[in-house]
Amino acid sequence: MSDNSILVPVSESTTLRQTVEYATRLAPAEDGPGRVRFIYLHPPEAAGDRQQADSSGDGEPTNGDTPELLNRVCVWAREDSDELSESITIETSQIGRDQYLFGPEDIAEALDAETEEHGIGRIVLDPEYDPGIGVPSLRPLQVELRRVCDVDVEEAPVTAPARRSPIEFGGTALQTGAIFGVSFLFYQTLAGTFELFDLVTGTVSATMVAVGLSQITLSRNPTAGSIFTLLRALVYLPYLLWEIVKTNVQVSAAILHPRLPIDPRMTRITPMVWGGLPLTILANSITLTPGTMTVRVEGRSLKVHTLLPASRDGLFDGGLERGVRFVFFGRSAMRIPSLRERRSYEILNPATDGIEESSSPENRQPQGGAGE
Amino acid sequence: MIEAIRTALIVGCVLAALFFTLVSTAGVLRLPDIYTRAHTASQADTLGAGFGLAAVALSLGWETATVKTVLLLFFIFITNPTAAHAISRAADEQGIEPWRPDDDRSDLRLYRDSQENGHIADGGISADTAGDEERQPPEDGGTNR
Amino acid sequence: MSTVFPETGDLVTDVFLVGAALFVLLAVALLYRAVKGPSTQDRVLAVNVLGTNTVVVLAFLGVGLGESSLLDIALVYALLNFLMAVAISKFTVERGGVL
Repeated sequence: MSDNSILVPVSESTTLRQTVEYATRLAPAEDGPGRVRFIYLHPPEAAGDRQQADSSGDGEPTNGDTPELLNRVCVWAREDSDELSESITIETSQIGRDQYLFGPEDIAEALDAETEEHGIGRIVLDPEYDPGIGVPSLRPLQVELRRVCDVDVEEAPVTAPARRSPIEFGGTALQTGAIFGVSFLFYQTLAGTFELFDLVTGTVSATMVAVGLSQITLSRNPTAGSIFTLLRALVYLPYLLWEIVKTNVQVSAAILHPRLPIDPRMTRITPMVWGGLPLTILANSITLTPGTMTVRVEGRSLKVHTLLPASRDGLFDGGLERGVRFVFFGRSAMRIPSLRERRSYEILNPATDGIEESSSPENRQPQGGAGE
Repeated sequence: MIEAIRTALIVGCVLAALFFTLVSTAGVLRLPDIYTRAHTASQADTLGAGFGLAAVALSLGWETATVKTVLLLFFIFITNPTAAHAISRAADEQGIEPWRPDDDRSDLRLYRDSQENGHIADGGISADTAGDEERQPPEDGGTNR
Repeated sequence: MSTVFPETGDLVTDVFLVGAALFVLLAVALLYRAVKGPSTQDRVLAVNVLGTNTVVVLAFLGVGLGESSLLDIALVYALLNFLMAVAISKFTVERGGVL
């Protein structure tokens, strides 16, 4: 509404202090008391971990280090406003704890919702702002914000230390080492022989890859848990293969059937799976299993196109979801009820006669040739 | 004896590969809209390629070339669904509606509608294929219900 | 190396060569969809399936003709195929956004 209420997304950065100062100075410039709202976005990984931790009990999630940053920002903002001897209101909020912010689009939409809810007229961005989604994302975020929001978006004019180059060099030693090892092994596998030439060129190219890409490939340090995850993935893989072959026969029968007995529907499911990698694996598994295909990922919910009623039932029974939970969160997470039991699915374009056929086995009409 | 079993396995794999690729080709040609076609493209085709490469790996035995084949297989299993997802997501962002059994529009109609609704001006690289009016929906695709 | 891999008999070689020929036939059929469209996505999809077929054909020929270097070509082709699909999909959504 008024131009003198400002939203500032904050994260740990070298230019945060200056951004806070700029926003605080900007707020009271026009009529009336200014208002600055600092907002902290929980990075996806933290959101996932927290969800996972309290998925058993529905208690208020415990706060990590977040308020510390927000408190610090508040103290700075008060200092600045005292200096100006202007009265401004300082507010803070956090989002992303209960939703999974996947990329610039999601963040922009979340920020837009925030501006609408609290009547904010302007967004000030920290040039070094990093919402923790793993990639350098300020430019796409700006573009998305300008597209989604109808409020002013500007970048705080800070005297920044030299802007980082687009490729971020220097992950931790462990990240670099892991990437180096994997790429060196890959190179030698392709080369096939262990001659001096291959060893030297392999070392050179693996070093280049490790230095250049370690931060992009691994967003966190690999831990001992990663190995268990990998082992559990080896259990999951045969299951996935079996599912692929089984449903492939089903779908092949439908496609080769002369009357083409298909019943395609767009559905939306909200799986109980958190974090970037698990969600990606689930989405890809769904796509690999015939009859179901992930069309979009919106936050934590997936838009899935299904080809046959049988494949729809398979999807809602949630076998793949359970498998992915097993891989990433261990055996105990398998006990979470399936999508059908939780009723967290919907059919986006049901048949026009309004009868929701084929979503549950009880009232499904028999389908010729669907291979059941 | 073992040699015979291996030969049989190889022939079986090649046949399976041909069958599933045939299914995916039939699917891409017959199915009514982009989303359903993407199904067979990502799945039947992946399995077809998987069987084919498995046959190659079997016939090569223990060699470095086999490792390459297995890598290739793995790679296809990861990238094929991703590509299909990217394609169908692009279709979704252009506003192409999914076809339904109670919907008698052809794929061309669905595509044109998405263009007219202004989801994206000048969306495709291709201009509309002029002159092929109302292509018949692939062989009585709408007789399902 | 141009010798036939020692273990493979004539029958297996023939199976692979015939298989490759049939795969090429299916690929030609796929061209129909690539030409007809109607949407850009349909074409990209058809070409993507065609590319996967090409990878299999290359691998089959590699065994059938005993040219193991064809496997490397198949590997690179699979990579390019994937890149093509993703890049064009992205390009059709936001023109100029990526390319």
